[in-house]
Amino acid sequence: MESLHIGEFVEQEANELQLRSLTGEAGYGREIRQKNLHRPGLALAGYLDLFTYDRVQILGNTEISFLESIGDKKTRASLEAMLSYDIPCFVVTNSNPVPDPLLELAKEKDIAVLSSSLGTTEFTHLLSDFLDEFFAPTSQMHGTLVDVYGTGLLLTGKSGIGKSEVALDLVERGHRLVADDVVTVTRKADNVLIGRGNKTLLHLMEIRGLGIIDVKEIFGVHSIRMQKRIEMVVELRLWKDRDNFERTGLEKETKDILGIDVPHVQLPIFPGKNITVICETLALNLHLQVYGYDAAEEFNRRLLQNMQDKQRLRSYLRRDNE
Amino acid sequence: MLREELMVINDLGIHARPAQHIVKLAAKHQAELWLEKDGNRINGKSIMGVLLLAAECGAPVTVETEGADEQALMDGLRELFAAGFHELKQG
Repeated sequence: MESLHIGEFVEQEANELQLRSLTGEAGYGREIRQKNLHRPGLALAGYLDLFTYDRVQILGNTEISFLESIGDKKTRASLEAMLSYDIPCFVVTNSNPVPDPLLELAKEKDIAVLSSSLGTTEFTHLLSDFLDEFFAPTSQMHGTLVDVYGTGLLLTGKSGIGKSEVALDLVERGHRLVADDVVTVTRKADNVLIGRGNKTLLHLMEIRGLGIIDVKEIFGVHSIRMQKRIEMVVELRLWKDRDNFERTGLEKETKDILGIDVPHVQLPIFPGKNITVICETLALNLHLQVYGYDAAEEFNRRLLQNMQDKQRLRSYLRRDNE
Repeated sequence: MLREELMVINDLGIHARPAQHIVKLAAKHQAELWLEKDGNRINGKSIMGVLLLAAECGAPVTVETEGADEQALMDGLRELFAAGFHELKQG
């Protein structure tokens, strides 16, 4: 499971979250293992059943003023109980003064007490975003991600089948390359997949026979983008006579990526077939479907109506014995 | 060449899904397939053609197969029509 060392966390986010440690490097070896946050008001008051100790503990104005109001002795007593749990770290917001017993006990137990000058609400928003991103399920996929008319198409298929060539063709027609060969996919929220390229590969691409090319330098900065939502998987497959390819578009296949079902289209390829135009059409057709128009469904509805009318006429005439 | 008249018996007639069953079956065979109804004669491997027949429930469709495996294709189609394209209501 993913985890984040407190030391790394402070180092990475010192600027963004205006963070600094009040306890030196104490507790830097501990880890944050989940994205949720906790404001331990009730735990400070002594109620430790259901205490979600494994979250980052945020001490806002309320918590600090509560501790001040009960005095050092009681503070020490309540913190002693609380700090017997395996807490990742404390963060005090608004640069509030920290009660001495907290600093002493935290050092003793090797738990970091961090301070931020941000207000509690802003701090929790930013930290939540950061932890969401850090703990988001991620995987690497073999494929090429292109933004076609604003729709993210992930081209997949066996090595050498021509994914990069199709992407190059799309770029040449004014679409934008996100990543070639290796796409890092991250799940955002419950139904959104974001794909991006590798930082060292950037927008480099291998075209067989040509070698490595730099799409950004050749086609200009408008031909690339950093990340894009993946809205459809287009799998390129060699055409074989007996394969079952979709013929109407009524059966919607999907592919599971990180637990999200993404529309999945299998495209047979053979000489003379213009995959680029088909990709553009797929993207536009998906747009139409998002706006509520599905050509296959609409056609079928008209056809069914037509056949129903004919059948009604047929049964009416059958009883017509004049 | 084989020629046979098959009846459409499912309630909805040959709409998109049954049409897909027909062209997919045809695509698995070498033999040519022609369907004829109300004077329209279309290639059974083309889905748009099959859909344009608009063959409703109770309509007869003339089926023609020609080629090496014409018998197998005809048998398959006879079965498919008799099964109401797997759309018959249970019971």
